[in-house]
Amino acid sequence: MSTMGWIALRVILEIVRDRRTLAFFFLVPVVVMSLVYLALFQDETARIAVVARGAARLFVYDLERALEQEQDVVVVPLEIPDEERDPQRLEADIQAALRTGQADGVLFFEESLLAERFEGKRGTLHLYLEGSRPTLTGLVASAVGNASDDLAASLPVVIDADCSAKCANSVNVKPLEIDKHYLYGSEDYRLIDFFLPVLLPFFVFFLTFILSNITFQRERVRGTLERLLIAPVTLTQVVLGYMGGFLLFSIPQAGIVLVYLLALIGFPVTVLQVLDLCAITMLMLLISLLMGLLVSFAARNEFQAVQFIPLVILPQVFFSDMIWSIERFPAVFRWFAMLLPLTHANIATRNVMLKQQPLWQSWPHLLAMAAMFLAALALLSLVGRRRTGMLG
Amino acid sequence: MIEMEHVRKVYDGHTALDDLTLSVPEGRIFGLLGPNGAGKTTLLRLIMGVLRPDAGTITLFGEYAPGVPAATRQIGYMPQQLALYEGLSVRENVLFFGRMYGLGGAVLQARADEVLERVELRERQSSLAGTLSGGMMRRAMLASALVHGPRLLILDEPTAGVDPLLRLRFWEWFRQLAAEGITVLVTTHHISEAGQGSEVLFLREGRILERGRPEELIARYGVADLEAAFVQATRQAVPGNDAARTANGETRA
Repeated sequence: MSTMGWIALRVILEIVRDRRTLAFFFLVPVVVMSLVYLALFQDETARIAVVARGAARLFVYDLERALEQEQDVVVVPLEIPDEERDPQRLEADIQAALRTGQADGVLFFEESLLAERFEGKRGTLHLYLEGSRPTLTGLVASAVGNASDDLAASLPVVIDADCSAKCANSVNVKPLEIDKHYLYGSEDYRLIDFFLPVLLPFFVFFLTFILSNITFQRERVRGTLERLLIAPVTLTQVVLGYMGGFLLFSIPQAGIVLVYLLALIGFPVTVLQVLDLCAITMLMLLISLLMGLLVSFAARNEFQAVQFIPLVILPQVFFSDMIWSIERFPAVFRWFAMLLPLTHANIATRNVMLKQQPLWQSWPHLLAMAAMFLAALALLSLVGRRRTGMLG
Repeated sequence: MIEMEHVRKVYDGHTALDDLTLSVPEGRIFGLLGPNGAGKTTLLRLIMGVLRPDAGTITLFGEYAPGVPAATRQIGYMPQQLALYEGLSVRENVLFFGRMYGLGGAVLQARADEVLERVELRERQSSLAGTLSGGMMRRAMLASALVHGPRLLILDEPTAGVDPLLRLRFWEWFRQLAAEGITVLVTTHHISEAGQGSEVLFLREGRILERGRPEELIARYGVADLEAAFVQATRQAVPGNDAARTANGETRA
């Protein structure tokens, strides 16, 4: 056998004898791809509700059927009492429905719509949009645009004099006006604005996790960790010391990413939003450090430690609400997503940046992250003692 | 200094140490000899409190159980691996380990000067540990194991990969330390060098084969040196076993 052949044989033998490496090698892509497929085999669908008052209710049925013809849109009912007619309270009810996630868009017909058409006016439909997710906003707006053309044809016809002169073969019906109201953001939100804010927790997680994973692995492999634990030093002190050391670099790193993001984001950001974002990032940073340390304990050598990186990072990319909305995932994957710290960081970040909510309103997510931090610390103490032989 | 009574340690059904009773007095160099898997490292880890015995008792310094801070503060440890922070200088490594034992300020600086002087590394104290030769790294490790002034020094293969001249120097330092009242517990594969210690212990399969002063053991087996005494003791423990002696006459421990 040639020299290269012997080298290849040596590599093969070592990998084959390291069962965990072998498992990582073949199972990681299959597991991650299966998870992604199962979670995303359904396309993202926007939910639209239709609310009408007075005679305009006559057209709700037709409009709902027209909306259902549109791709990736479903019509959902809204629990707003029929007797509610006060415009301000009605608008508040609609906004509450959007805020609680009952719908991504609500189309509202005023009683006056029919009268306006009889008077020869174009008539106005009010489209209330949740607005924080550009893809869903786009789906709703497009579906409503198409369906409103159908509706305009079934309403009293208003001939578009301007158009009839220019476009003889078209249907010369004046389209309805669609007045858009955004709960969050505005028509100016770009798709990139939806993704930019969550890149901060992601980068902090990604880079800190790798740094702590590899550095702690080296500490274990070269025997200095054992020396520390033989001294009157506890593992918790070691971990907290590590965190202190890493923070000096991770905080400026997060600062650089933040400044760059703020320069790229296409909407105004307040100082308070930046401070809130810093708080979320700090929590994410601490959790990432502990996760890196935990994984370094799970790995027997640096090779395995490196292979843990895709296994930990890829699911967080796919299932953390970063790219795809977890609300549309099957229930089991929604639960899985809730176990990932990045999911909570991303939701809290978007709440602060896109929905302009004060940080405290994301308290369930902050609480979940704090709980994960403490759980990781406890687990690290337990696993670390076992792995370093402290319990024999 | 170290009192062990009927100590037993089992890993995954394999008995690493079995009914081991041992007493190590203060100010001695105590050599632990035995083939790989004899239980030497397990014994050291039990004394340091990294492992807990499944049976039996261990008492350190007349009053402490292994692992309690009052005991660990008095132990210095030099592992077999080159366990230094390669990105720190020799002095920074020594100072770091000193701080882990609660030293600080002028006391620590003075101790660092003293131990670096002892291992003859004062001139290289500013060099990064990662740039040192294997022998220098071992000397730096000894310095960082001594910086907090331990009463018990545990050395796991301290001269592995060290050239013969430096090995002799290491043993001179061990004798100086013992003369100062420090107990030195040392495992080594170089059986001949263990003859320079005050007392040796032959371990095999978790049991004590022999214990005594090197000259006593040599006389007991009527052989020329400690290596031959070790081989004899091993053969008597397992009749017909010649595996301890290799074809070229060297002894494997």
